[in-house]
Amino acid sequence: MQMLMQTLVTGLAVGGIYALMAVGYSLIFSILNFSNFAYGGIIMLGSYMGFYSLTLLKVPFAAALIISMLGAALLSFLNERIAYSSLRKRHAPSLYFMISAMGTSIFLENMVYATIGSDYNAYPAIFKQSSVSIFGSTIGKLDLFAIIFSLIAIYIMNYFIQHTRTGIAIRAASYDSEVSQINGVNLSAVIGLVFVLAGLLAGVSGVFLGMKYMAYPTMGWITNKAYISAVIGGLGSLPGAVTGGLILGVLESLVSVYVSSLLRDVFSFTFLIVLLLVMPSGLFGKYLEEKV
Amino acid sequence: MSYYVQGILILAMYNAIAVVGLSIFTGFTGLMSLGHAAFIAIGAYTAAICTKLYGISFIPALLLGGLMAGLVSLVIGIPTLRAKLRSDYFTIATLGFGEAIRVLLENLPITQGARGLPGLYPHTTFPVVLTVFVIVVFVCKNFVFSRYGRMAIAVREDFVAAEMAGINLFNIRLRSLFFSAVCAGIAGGFQAHYLTYIQPSMFTGVQSTLLTASVVAGGMGSLTGPIIAALVFAAIPEVLRVASMWRLVAYGAILVAIMVFRPQGIFGYKEFTFKGAWHALKHLYEKLSGKKAAGQGGTKA
Amino acid sequence: MMTKKTKKALATLLIGLLALSLAACGTSSSSTTAPAGTTAAENKEPIKIGHEVALTGGSSLWGQSEKQALEMEIEKINAAGGVLGRPLELVAYDNKADQTEGVNVAKRLVGDKVVAIIGPAQSGVGIAASSVTEGAKTILIGTTATNPKLTVNEDGSVKPYTFRTCFIDPYQGKVAATFALNSLKVTKAAVLMDVGSDYSQGLSQYFKETFTAGGGTIVADEAFRSEELDYRAQLGKIKDAGAELLFIPTMQKEAGLAMKQAKDLGLDVKFLGGDGWASKELVELGGEATEGSFYVNIASLEDPTIADWVKEYKAKYNANPVMPNPVLAVDALRMVVNAIESTKSTDSTTLANYMSTMKDVPVLTGKLTMDPKTHNPVNKPAVIETVKNGEFTFFEAFAGQ
Repeated sequence: MQMLMQTLVTGLAVGGIYALMAVGYSLIFSILNFSNFAYGGIIMLGSYMGFYSLTLLKVPFAAALIISMLGAALLSFLNERIAYSSLRKRHAPSLYFMISAMGTSIFLENMVYATIGSDYNAYPAIFKQSSVSIFGSTIGKLDLFAIIFSLIAIYIMNYFIQHTRTGIAIRAASYDSEVSQINGVNLSAVIGLVFVLAGLLAGVSGVFLGMKYMAYPTMGWITNKAYISAVIGGLGSLPGAVTGGLILGVLESLVSVYVSSLLRDVFSFTFLIVLLLVMPSGLFGKYLEEKV
Repeated sequence: MSYYVQGILILAMYNAIAVVGLSIFTGFTGLMSLGHAAFIAIGAYTAAICTKLYGISFIPALLLGGLMAGLVSLVIGIPTLRAKLRSDYFTIATLGFGEAIRVLLENLPITQGARGLPGLYPHTTFPVVLTVFVIVVFVCKNFVFSRYGRMAIAVREDFVAAEMAGINLFNIRLRSLFFSAVCAGIAGGFQAHYLTYIQPSMFTGVQSTLLTASVVAGGMGSLTGPIIAALVFAAIPEVLRVASMWRLVAYGAILVAIMVFRPQGIFGYKEFTFKGAWHALKHLYEKLSGKKAAGQGGTKA
Repeated sequence: MMTKKTKKALATLLIGLLALSLAACGTSSSSTTAPAGTTAAENKEPIKIGHEVALTGGSSLWGQSEKQALEMEIEKINAAGGVLGRPLELVAYDNKADQTEGVNVAKRLVGDKVVAIIGPAQSGVGIAASSVTEGAKTILIGTTATNPKLTVNEDGSVKPYTFRTCFIDPYQGKVAATFALNSLKVTKAAVLMDVGSDYSQGLSQYFKETFTAGGGTIVADEAFRSEELDYRAQLGKIKDAGAELLFIPTMQKEAGLAMKQAKDLGLDVKFLGGDGWASKELVELGGEATEGSFYVNIASLEDPTIADWVKEYKAKYNANPVMPNPVLAVDALRMVVNAIESTKSTDSTTLANYMSTMKDVPVLTGKLTMDPKTHNPVNKPAVIETVKNGEFTFFEAFAGQ
């Protein structure tokens, strides 16, 4: 019982990180309908920005978080303008977007390799290595903070999208970009904004990943888990991304402890395939006919 | 030809075999796979186990490797392609599949886990690879110009319209996937007997990405384009040994640039032929000399 | 129409140019043979020593240092008149710690007609490269490649041209287990290994064998996959099993993170690892959790036998050598030099035969004796290091096998 509780808590802590990454990724999918594989690269750079703000500029933690959020937002915006906007204007198939995104991701990752190097950069200790006990299970304070912070960030994001004028424009564009444009939505501005929002989330994710683990060039690998989370939850759905992340985190934890830590990726993958066969658009995905 | 150059050519050709297969899949069905390294791995392990543990001779082992990769591709292909997953979901499913296969290779007793299979016989020699390479390209060419090839092109261009025209989407996509997996498996068999040692860590997502990069750079829907791209990509790290870190940076930039400026790839849908190359050169020459002629003509007039 | 065409042409041209310029800059700088020393021996034809080394990628930290150490050593030898009156020349190529690249580099070095190849440092790369060098009858000396299969074929026969200067994993696993049982006095151990790494798999296997044979019990045997960063699920299970010691036979990244996460979970155990830990990143990543942890290493910076050499290196490069690779590479070089001088020959078969039965040859880390049946050095001592106030500190030495 004790062990089950601890496993669930650990699973939720890991899942919280997946969820935070999956939200930004899913947000972009919701409006452009393609998998932005470059998102992992943006998170990685966000993490580096946080690292250098803390170690070179020696700013306080809050300032480092803001710097990396703004930096990642700018990168995300540039990413859209350089790699996707002309494809969007040409109505290119989503395959082209994916390839362009993959190119960006390869570019960013290897750029860091070539310029900064492949060292593992540990964040300075911000929160003392301490943990709290909940129902007899231990959870790191940082994890708790990460989960609470990501829930707040996701809540704000959701409120913004559901209840503000700009949010309505975003939603309108995500359903039908052509019609919304006719109705006076400045599509280019809305898409730019979505990438900025996703970038802000990438900055937060990057700093958390950095604190939890470290900053290094191939850390974008962990975003594979975020992609899978988003697909489980249904691409394009923000609550889906959160649920998908938590489900994946808990599933991995349970399989590791009760079945085999070696085979957990096989379980996650099988789960993904079976889920997609039963629910082709994930748990909360809106079913969209693919654009040609 | 030096030992070293020959080695690079062998490497380039077996990579090109995998690339040409993937080109049939991505280039002709419009689906992107991030898991083709898994098929290479399956081919490599099957062929290696055949020659090493069962003493089967190389060519049958190679074919068995290809066949095994093809069969596994059906296991993943039948459910995902039948469900007509959106292309994004399919791509992420292949990503998960690639990882899952590596997990199995790391854990099965017969593959000896992470320690891999050392001490394979270096069967992969230049004449063998060259022969198989030529055969694969020939088969691919026939595939592309067959009825299935034309259907595949229709699917790539507009799968909704193609389906309405009575093409069985599932059938075409599955066949292409099977074919590309067989090619990848054969390439894997060569790789195993070239390096004489295989480990699961050799078959990562990076390898899948590089295969896709070759297909895209060479031109989706072309056969010669991706082949040339695969050969160039295999040669670049050797020429550029020092600037090797920048190689992948350049690949990334090239992928984006191609999508933005020239989505049909460097060679486009055209095939490279010597006749074509001759014409292009002649055209270029005429253009250059034509300008001069025009200028001279101007003075005469 | 015109603009569209020009745009297209421009794009093609740009891509083409990019490729061309890359190719051009590559050819101009690809001749990286390190300049040999400049003294009397200069005029004679140099003896080429190949170096298979990871100069880029995750292992470059060690690789760069390894190359610097060899360059320094060769400079010294050449300044003293070279070997057999001929200067040495280091031909180093980057293998990125990758098997395919390793094979390419081996072929290239064979083509360059090097007398012997020093490296690779990674067992996997070494095993792949040795198939090339064995076929071409070129000597290959692994530096930190601890997998027994590097020098011995599957059937147990020795590879005639392949050697190493480090100890092997079974020995390292044995040292770790013996240390745990005798010095740390624990009887219940858990193992957390990287299933994607042959090094980690081998080391954990030999640790478990020796530990259980010595009366200990393995209470939890957990693993994770190479790219994973979160081991809390596994660590939770280890905590539940009541282990006193956690053996983490991985590289510094995973070990550092695992120790940090273990402390976060309130896991109160001693930590023990192998030579993969030997990077200050271990302490950076693991923070205070690494304090008081132990690991087995091939050589220690504080080892008095190499103290002078370390000082010399530091004076030249303004940094400490990244242990243990440079020391073992220098051992390999001295082995080759000794063989050439003793046999007065650069013929690889003569040299290999000599090396195979080398006895008490003075090298950097002491005296080296080769086991002709396995081509492993027989009396390599191991050292136990510990983390004290965030620094690696020499704890105790383990005598030879």
